[in-house]
Amino acid sequence: MNFWERLGKIDRRIIYLVVFLGVIIPILLKVTFRVEPMREVKQAYEEVEKLPPGSAVMISIDYDASSMPELQPMLVAILEHCFKKDLKVIMLGHWPLGLPLGQIALDKVAKKYGKVYGKDYVFLGFRPGVAAVMINLGKEIRQVFNSDYKGTPIDSLPIMQNIHNYNDIGILIGLEAGSTGDMWVQFAQARYNAKIILGATAVVAPDLYPYLQANQIVGLIGGLRGAADYESLVHVLGPAYLGMPAQTTIHVLVVILIILGNLGYFATRRKK
Amino acid sequence: MTALSTVLLFLIVQFPAPPQNVRAYDTPNDAGNSITVTWDLSPDDSVVSRYEIYRSKGEPSIDSAVVVGSVLRGSTQFEDNSVENNVHYYYFVRAWVDTLYADSKWSAAAYAKPQWFHTGRKSALVILIFFGILLFYYLQKAKQGAELYIRRIAGLEAVDEAVGRSTEMGRPILFILGLGFVSDIPTLAALAILKRVSKKAAEYESEVIVPCYDPVVMTAAQEVVKEGYMEAGRPDLYNERNIYYLTADQFGYAAGVDGIMVREKPGAVFLQGLFYAESLILAETGHSIGAIQISGTTAVTQLPFFIAATDYTLIGEEMYAASAYLSKDPLSLSTIKAEDVAKMVFVALFVLGVVLETLAVITGNQSFHFLKNWFALF
Amino acid sequence: MRREVPLFITFISGILLVIALFIPHKPFGNLEQRFNDWYIIVSGFTMILGIDSLLLHHWNNFKRKREGWIYSIALMLAFFITLIWGFYSGIKVGSPFKPNASFLKYFYTFVFVPLQATMFSLLAFFIASAAYRAFRARTFDATLLLTAAALVMLGRVPEGNRASVYLFGIALLIAAIVLLLEAKERVSTFEKLLHYLGAAVAIVLIYVQYRILPSYLPQIADWIMNIPQLAAKRGIFIGIALGGIAMSLRIILGIERTYLK
Repeated sequence: MNFWERLGKIDRRIIYLVVFLGVIIPILLKVTFRVEPMREVKQAYEEVEKLPPGSAVMISIDYDASSMPELQPMLVAILEHCFKKDLKVIMLGHWPLGLPLGQIALDKVAKKYGKVYGKDYVFLGFRPGVAAVMINLGKEIRQVFNSDYKGTPIDSLPIMQNIHNYNDIGILIGLEAGSTGDMWVQFAQARYNAKIILGATAVVAPDLYPYLQANQIVGLIGGLRGAADYESLVHVLGPAYLGMPAQTTIHVLVVILIILGNLGYFATRRKK
Repeated sequence: MTALSTVLLFLIVQFPAPPQNVRAYDTPNDAGNSITVTWDLSPDDSVVSRYEIYRSKGEPSIDSAVVVGSVLRGSTQFEDNSVENNVHYYYFVRAWVDTLYADSKWSAAAYAKPQWFHTGRKSALVILIFFGILLFYYLQKAKQGAELYIRRIAGLEAVDEAVGRSTEMGRPILFILGLGFVSDIPTLAALAILKRVSKKAAEYESEVIVPCYDPVVMTAAQEVVKEGYMEAGRPDLYNERNIYYLTADQFGYAAGVDGIMVREKPGAVFLQGLFYAESLILAETGHSIGAIQISGTTAVTQLPFFIAATDYTLIGEEMYAASAYLSKDPLSLSTIKAEDVAKMVFVALFVLGVVLETLAVITGNQSFHFLKNWFALF
Repeated sequence: MRREVPLFITFISGILLVIALFIPHKPFGNLEQRFNDWYIIVSGFTMILGIDSLLLHHWNNFKRKREGWIYSIALMLAFFITLIWGFYSGIKVGSPFKPNASFLKYFYTFVFVPLQATMFSLLAFFIASAAYRAFRARTFDATLLLTAAALVMLGRVPEGNRASVYLFGIALLIAAIVLLLEAKERVSTFEKLLHYLGAAVAIVLIYVQYRILPSYLPQIADWIMNIPQLAAKRGIFIGIALGGIAMSLRIILGIERTYLK
């Protein structure tokens, strides 16, 4: 096997090593790139920007630790935006194992802006039965959550006064690592006309584009790139923004690997 | 006097204009106990903070009116789900600006009642009936012994080959059912393929390992494999302990299955059912141990990964066709024939729809939207 | 009988649910919800079967000292510690999932989250090795596929458009050289001509992409995602939906019964 043919059969461990270095080096060197926000992210940002101060934003944590690298920076950027704009944040979730992640981010960003629990934000938690929860939220939030995650009755929280269903929510933001986003569209948008923005992992995002085209959602934040776009829009340069150079490096590396693989393929074919 | 009138004038100017044209009607297509209220926005909507919806039972009286809900500015609809059936209700809408408000006129009387037919699903019913007729036509044909053609599906042809090769190598067969539950159709389709695989494995005296994500699926898989071994006449070879429960955690499951692959080194790996982000983690590990891999899923997002990393992939409906294809049962085949004819009809409808919608855009004639509107009913 | 009863139950509940779709009136309107509740209750009990299967499997591994039996012990220990601690904090603070149930929170933050994130991050490595292996320009279709993949990959990252000019330039140059080399070995004049033509097109494309990609790559990537990608996906979706109807009807009518004993 000559050099050219060998290019077509690079050991996968070498590929793994190259990928590892390609991720780690830009992060360690703290390289930064300027990002030009994508249209659908800008759209999402502007929808939140348009809300009058004091409106409520409902955020749903539909992911867990595995997709945390992509969705957690997105959540933090959105929370920064909401609190900066004095919007009220109501958080809940459909993935019970991801809920603590939502709570950690909520507490951290709320503290930064000096927000008060129960007045400026609330964490409702989880109730089983995804579709049933979504449908009943459209009727009366109290049918599903009569208390928050600590067991405090929500009627005793000032933030929940005058908030009964999707009609009282300015925007619903779902952060999705699976198919829960489709259900938000199916139940909250199609049935109750709720205004929805979806943030999703890069794998899930392509599935959600049809909803954007059909105006069933008003914004889409996809993958680490989407998170970086949102971060740059709210001028909080966090982990997603810092991760962009690593992502660019990996994408370029994969394309180089594909080119090498094809060189090897042609060399082998010519020999035959 | 002038000061007072200035204050009064100021107040009057600040009063919002009331919402207009309030209508209340029985919420259509529901099980009753609901009235929908709609209105036209107050001309001062941009300064309105919220709209409150008031309801009065029996007669339009402000004294007996109660607030039933409030909505943000810009909303023109409210669904009141706290009404009794067959009782007359009257509504009005109050627009608030700070501490000032303006009331609309009363709506006409409305009462809620349950419906026996969901008119919004007419199109679905028509399609269902059409599909039913097609199905029964082809079922009849199949019963009369008509020959039904089904195209070759490479992935399914390879099933027997994969089992055979694995046996030659003296290695077990690994069948991964994915993250679906028994209520998911792809999982049921995968169980049909599992039956064929276990029957072949029994004939070759090979082992089938099935790690499961859901206990109900595990129980079903045990039955299916047992049945496969019995059909091959080798119930003695069936080992229930090879079909076991792993975990109901996505990546825990992926880690567990990867471990099984690396330890047991199966000669053939089947990835059939519903898969999410773990699809490529499983398929690449399977490739690294040199197994022949046949994948199949309806999770469209995961198809590219399977196509890139496995030897054969059953794309979506090919997987559903598997049991009919493998069993060559004429009744099952007839349902696939009906499905294909229905697909042809839909393709024709799409073409017609595109032409009509294009015409609507070019001519500006709204009546060309009839097909779209009919389908949008659902 | 053993076979007829389940088939009958399947038939009746299937037909009922189809009818319920068209009748909002009680008791049909909420039938689906009710059936779902029943399913949740039944599947809750089958969890016991799952636990039984899991523990027995590992107990046997341990008893027969099969290879890796030490991990079976680790699994059983982890299982019982979590279970007992769950009960303990349940009694102590009311629910194991409360924020002040410290052990489970500790476990969540320092064991569960890193483990899950690690498994998921393996994808980055696997995607690279799978892409390297799968994207070979074997046929015209495969070439289209890999070109589209490269365009989207580079179009979706910042600075990707700048890198793309070099990468596509190199790839096209290689393509031209390969075509020229292959042309020499062709016998028929027509095939020779075709290869020379291909090489010429590749060289022209080097200039074209140099003019286009730096400013339009993100739009090109969006176009690929929004038009051809979605079109193919919708086609597959419609096929799956129809296949699903056919499969469901086979199950309801009892033609498809592999899932039954």
